[in-house]
Amino acid sequence: MNAMRPYWSPYTAGVALGATLLLTYVLMGFGLGASGAFTHVAAALEGAVAPGRAQANSYIAGYLEAGRLWAQWVVVEMAGVVVGGVLGAWSAGRFAWRLDRGAAIGGGRRLLFAFVGGATVGFASRIAQGCTSGLALSGGAVLAPGAWAFLMAFMAGGFAMAWMVRRVWR
Amino acid sequence: MSWPLTLDGGAALGAGLLLGVAFGFVLERAGLGDPKKLVGLFYLEDFTMLKVMFSAIAVASAGIALLAVFGVMDLAALAVQPTYLWPQIVGGLVLGAGFALGGY
Repeated sequence: MNAMRPYWSPYTAGVALGATLLLTYVLMGFGLGASGAFTHVAAALEGAVAPGRAQANSYIAGYLEAGRLWAQWVVVEMAGVVVGGVLGAWSAGRFAWRLDRGAAIGGGRRLLFAFVGGATVGFASRIAQGCTSGLALSGGAVLAPGAWAFLMAFMAGGFAMAWMVRRVWR
Repeated sequence: MSWPLTLDGGAALGAGLLLGVAFGFVLERAGLGDPKKLVGLFYLEDFTMLKVMFSAIAVASAGIALLAVFGVMDLAALAVQPTYLWPQIVGGLVLGAGFALGGY
């Protein structure tokens, strides 16, 4: 733990992230994403477990028509994100098994809230057709009006819910 | 107007993997693998997410604009997220609430 490197300055990280995003637009013509990968995985699971039901749903069927899971750009990109995250943590001496949690919350409740929050984020990303990566960040960079509306609503929703649940972890 | 390159096939997937690695690496080094920093904005305690996100948007959008001004980047060939105002507002509200619920 003594050897743990400090985090980068947020501005250094922002410039590096902006350069990565710019390179993505130059190479691909579109930006970085995240939630789309989870949608592809969910569609593939439904296709494997209940193919009839999956085909009957035009939204899910559309994802299945895209072909094999590992041939989907956003799925491969998200696999890269996991690898990059591990590399970043490991090379900074931060790689360890632990459950980050606030002072006032037990491990079980921490996982429960994380799961409910994660499921809510996943559900919301399908309402908005994007998340903080694919819509707010990537759309923000190409000045998509919907991305900026989403970003402002994201802040509003976050502040409101954080106020309601603040006593859970502090 | 030779950019974007709009890679496809194996080149696209290879680029996607490397861009994803860079994305994950930078997010981790920014501290955004730490859930407390991720939701810190909503308690007005930690503005890392805001600073990283807005400086990234500034760099990428300025870069795209400069490339377009010098005639290197064809803006019309970029995929711009379509506007569905109400779904994006409602989705944003729920997604922000989900972030806060995830907590730390």
